[in-house]
Amino acid sequence: MRHFSYSRAESIDQAVATFSENQHASFLAGGTNLLDMVKLDLIRPELIIDVNRLNLNQIEVLEDQRLKIGAMVTNSILANHACIKDKYTVLSEALLSGASTQLRNKATTGGNVMQRVRCPYFRDNTSMCNKRDPGSGCSAIDGFNRSVHAVLGTSDQCIASHPSDMCVAMAAIGASVTVTGPSGDRDINFLDFHLLPGETPWKEFALKEDELITHITLDAPIEGARSTYLKLRDRSSYQFALASSAAIVALNGNTIQEVRLALGGVGTKPWRAWEAEKMLQGQPANIENFEKAARIAMQEAKAYKHNAFKIPLAQQAIVRTLLNLTAN
Amino acid sequence: MSEMIIGAAKPRIDGPAKLTGQARYSSDNNLTGMAHAYGVFSTIAHGKIINIDTSLAKQSLGVIDIFHHDNFPDLYHTPSMMEQENKVEEIRLPFEDNHIYYAGQFVALVVADTFENARAAAYKVRVDYQAYSAIANLEQGLEHGDLQMQEKTQHSRGNPEQAYQTAKHTIDATYRTPVETHNPMEMHATVAAWQGDHLTMYDTTQGVVNARNVYAKVFGLSPDQVTVLTPFLGSGFGGKLWPWPNAIAAAGAARAVGQSVKLVVPRQEMFTTTGHRPETRQRLRLATNEDGKLVSVRHDSISTTSVINKTGSYVELCGGMTKALYSCQNLSVTHGITYVNRGTPTSMRAPGAASGLFALESAMDEMANTLGMDPLEFRLLNYANQDESQDLPWSSNHIRDAYAQAAEQFGWAKRNAKVGSMHDGNEIIGWGMDSCNWEAIQYGCDARVAFREDGTVFASCGTQDIGTGTYTIVAQVLSDLTGLPLDKIEVQLGDSSYPSGPISGGSWATATTLPAIAKAGRKAIETLKKYAILSGGSFPKAKTEDLIYEHGQLSDKKGKTVHFMEVLKARRLASAEGEAHTNGAHTDKFSFRSFGAHFVEVRWDPGISRLRVSRVVSAIDAGRAMNKLTSRNQIEGSIVMGIGMALFEQTEYDPRDGRPVNNNFAEYLVPVHADQPEIDVILLDYPDYNFNEFGARGLGEIGITGIAAAIANAVFHATGKRIRELPITLDKLMDIVA
Amino acid sequence: MADKHGTIPHSNLHGDKAHHKVSQNSASSATDTQQTASLDPPHSAANIPDGQYSIQFTINRTPCNLNVTPNMILLDVLRHQLDLTGTKKGCDHGQCGACTIHVNGQPINSCLSLAIAHDGDEITTIEGLEQNGKLHPLQQAFLEHDAYQCGYCTSGQMMMALSVINDADIAEDDAAVREAMSGNICRCGAYKNILSAIQSARKEMKQA
Repeated sequence: MRHFSYSRAESIDQAVATFSENQHASFLAGGTNLLDMVKLDLIRPELIIDVNRLNLNQIEVLEDQRLKIGAMVTNSILANHACIKDKYTVLSEALLSGASTQLRNKATTGGNVMQRVRCPYFRDNTSMCNKRDPGSGCSAIDGFNRSVHAVLGTSDQCIASHPSDMCVAMAAIGASVTVTGPSGDRDINFLDFHLLPGETPWKEFALKEDELITHITLDAPIEGARSTYLKLRDRSSYQFALASSAAIVALNGNTIQEVRLALGGVGTKPWRAWEAEKMLQGQPANIENFEKAARIAMQEAKAYKHNAFKIPLAQQAIVRTLLNLTAN
Repeated sequence: MSEMIIGAAKPRIDGPAKLTGQARYSSDNNLTGMAHAYGVFSTIAHGKIINIDTSLAKQSLGVIDIFHHDNFPDLYHTPSMMEQENKVEEIRLPFEDNHIYYAGQFVALVVADTFENARAAAYKVRVDYQAYSAIANLEQGLEHGDLQMQEKTQHSRGNPEQAYQTAKHTIDATYRTPVETHNPMEMHATVAAWQGDHLTMYDTTQGVVNARNVYAKVFGLSPDQVTVLTPFLGSGFGGKLWPWPNAIAAAGAARAVGQSVKLVVPRQEMFTTTGHRPETRQRLRLATNEDGKLVSVRHDSISTTSVINKTGSYVELCGGMTKALYSCQNLSVTHGITYVNRGTPTSMRAPGAASGLFALESAMDEMANTLGMDPLEFRLLNYANQDESQDLPWSSNHIRDAYAQAAEQFGWAKRNAKVGSMHDGNEIIGWGMDSCNWEAIQYGCDARVAFREDGTVFASCGTQDIGTGTYTIVAQVLSDLTGLPLDKIEVQLGDSSYPSGPISGGSWATATTLPAIAKAGRKAIETLKKYAILSGGSFPKAKTEDLIYEHGQLSDKKGKTVHFMEVLKARRLASAEGEAHTNGAHTDKFSFRSFGAHFVEVRWDPGISRLRVSRVVSAIDAGRAMNKLTSRNQIEGSIVMGIGMALFEQTEYDPRDGRPVNNNFAEYLVPVHADQPEIDVILLDYPDYNFNEFGARGLGEIGITGIAAAIANAVFHATGKRIRELPITLDKLMDIVA
Repeated sequence: MADKHGTIPHSNLHGDKAHHKVSQNSASSATDTQQTASLDPPHSAANIPDGQYSIQFTINRTPCNLNVTPNMILLDVLRHQLDLTGTKKGCDHGQCGACTIHVNGQPINSCLSLAIAHDGDEITTIEGLEQNGKLHPLQQAFLEHDAYQCGYCTSGQMMMALSVINDADIAEDDAAVREAMSGNICRCGAYKNILSAIQSARKEMKQA
């Protein structure tokens, strides 16, 4: 870690103002990703603005049944919150499948959304990487790309997969991200928050540089729905997803009335499987339909040298989550 | 008491220190006036440094000095001879020249007042390289035309080629194992302190005496001028057997700046500059007659070694166990090496055997399947009555008992041999088994034991406890010998100034150290008797042979009994000491090996491609278990590491430039708590008195040998897929339509 | 907090030689840990070297004041400035759990925490577990079950285990404990004994 200055923000306005006054500032929330990257010398903030003591740690049910989550609510608190466990099981399970108990105690909701990719060529601070050094090239496309590289939403500029589990659940649930900046507050649809790499892989978030996430509001839970998250990986815990599936299903008898499906580990952003959802809507809940939906979800997938297995693996995750949710 | 204490499941005597945070590991030493060092590591795998720009770094806060090939002090090479106990794997000194042989090689060292300032400045050192093409892996090494056959390590008997040609059943298969890294939880660390011409190293070593001798050679000093201290080691698994460049860099920098220096190797570079288990490619050709009796075995292996060290290169002896584990009259093993741009490989837990038995025991399973024979029956059929490679009887071999007990405990008889036939819900269950094997070695050792006037017994030896429980079993031996309780016995290890003890490696520390401790203890009793008969002593008129030592007391024939404290006090003596040397085991009468068997259950959920090891039963024949608690723990831990080897572990190098890709604990996967299967370890506990007076052969390696193949064999039983390349990751088990 | 006005001031420290004075001053606190290990009385503002901040936290029930630069990590401050070396560094990136300590009762990775951000917090390390010279029931269980080999990850294992036992959100069955403990890597592989020590200590602690 290089040297930097430190400022503790006492108010949101002060945090935003301090940020805009300084050219190379970073907000510090849980620090589990930021300090990791500062240690790797990947980012070199000259000023760290600590937002931990802003009053952004409430979870509240709004009148319209949506759930408002403060940006500084930790992953542990969120995962174990009664309302999340009960109404948003998929989110609780996704959170608890991520990282480790200790890390979840520090990692925050806002920080998790801002998590950077795990691509080793990004993190080694040496290889060609369009995210780190725009225009330098992508070392992963022809390099080692088994575990933390995507098959959906990739471009010839970047193939790093999005690392978060929480975000996959949120993509399935539907949410909005409220941010604040010098020009005031605004809401960003969660599904638009993370950007595809396209021709500009260094642009990862719809957030402007000087904006701060204040909270995330989940869509109201779907009446009568069940939800679950399944994460597949090499070892049993403490590993980023090779493929994961977040599913929410409401049945009417054996007919799928509502379904939401999102994928992790395989997309360059939390991946909502719209086409698969459309196909399943109104159909009988059976394995044939689930397998068909899984094929549709991955039909645009593009495999790279070492990660072709992620296509069938993600399909398996989809099928198993749907089976689990629709079993009696 | 003696029956009770040897082998008893006693908690570790060093436990409270470890459990309260009071045990000082090397990097826990904070000396007054100590500076901190941080390394700069090569980002290319092959080439040379054309410029190092330290101007920005030198202006950084708190920087004391920055070292690199242009200004690091000139030092000497160590001869690196095992028999002189001054061995290293990487003979080249840090910063010796501007050549780069591997990624992660030290290219500069920043010394600053604080850790934070050293690291911040290290990031500001700019190194310009001229990169050459790198040899990134074994296949590239062979393509490069480098294959050195290691004639001295070959073994051949009978005519395996001819026997193979005429045999009824044959198997010809090639197996591969990747680079694995030791990654003990404690990173390599050194606090180097000079007082005039005396160097003190708070070091992370599995061999304080060897390390002392190395530093003496490197700095041109007498061994008396160097002290190496490792009272606690955060384990090593072979990675800390021999000193690495980091320690020499720290000591060289400390002398140059005139301050003590602490240097800790970052986790990322624990994958590059502190050794690894090399990559191997192994061809196994087995042949049997109609009944399943082996008639030909050929095991030809090639392993990678580093271009940095073309003399005295490390060789992975994959065929070491194959020579004698089974009976076969026609057999050959060969070892070749090829050079790659990686750091130097070194011994990692059960070197040769862990890799070699993956191949041999997988091939044995393949042959059993070919024969349609139960793999356990097949092994029993090929039991070796003696070591056929040396034509010597086994000192003690209970492998058939290991098979029987483990099979019984596991429930092997209930196995349905048909592939994929055993189910539990969504999961297919696979059962596999195999043998384990490791050589037993005992070297010479010195030790000192003293009865002290305060009523305690003190033992010291220049070996170390790397987590295996050496402190505790030394105390148990002395408790047995002296009849004193464990809390009256103080054991000190991990200091090179103590009588010369063994490195903790190869499972030989126990067998080597304990006889010397016992001999020194007996000598101390004799000394006590001599002091007792001095005039003014407790038994002034007695002869030593008339005195009997028992339970801390001397007594004569008349029944007079005096505690040793009083014996010493009578002559105002502080202590009665004994120092002893014991020789290594004679290897001309017996072949000494440890044996065992693993039985493994895996669960494969084909619907989500999830593979887990769910149950392991292992029976281990390693002679006497000196402490049931720590012995069992050693084997259980070996099995866990073996699960890592089988399913997860693989250091990846980019084939384009030879740089490591997953050199961190998030991407190089080792087993975590959630991967822990149900493990049952059976310690057969047959003392091997042909080996030493305690009958103990050592336990560090045996448990990891064979485990990877037992898992691979179980995976085959579940899935019908024979995975010949470790690790067995889920993608290798999936039917992927590209 | 040393600054009575409540806000930690900005520093303009970017590590250039212009602040050499800072380095000399900071050296006195960082290199002579035997002295700073005793928890000094609060510094007056005038004593704080340029570029450093005075912070206060409670460590193992004892209030502690010290000067830190913003880039000092809590783990390194514990180990170097306070000489509390029972907490270990295993990876420095939140990938192993060896550095687990409690902050305000919660287990965290101290390697991913800025010391300065913990001003006012209550911190417990392994050194705070033993009381009145008596091993904590968890330490006793680790001893009896041989729940370690080399001992290097053990402090982190125990700090995490204590939280697992006390956390109502973590179920008591073996599988739940294994999952919750999975952020603490033990390369010696003593997982079986660690689990049995935790479950045994849980019983002891309930009875106590």
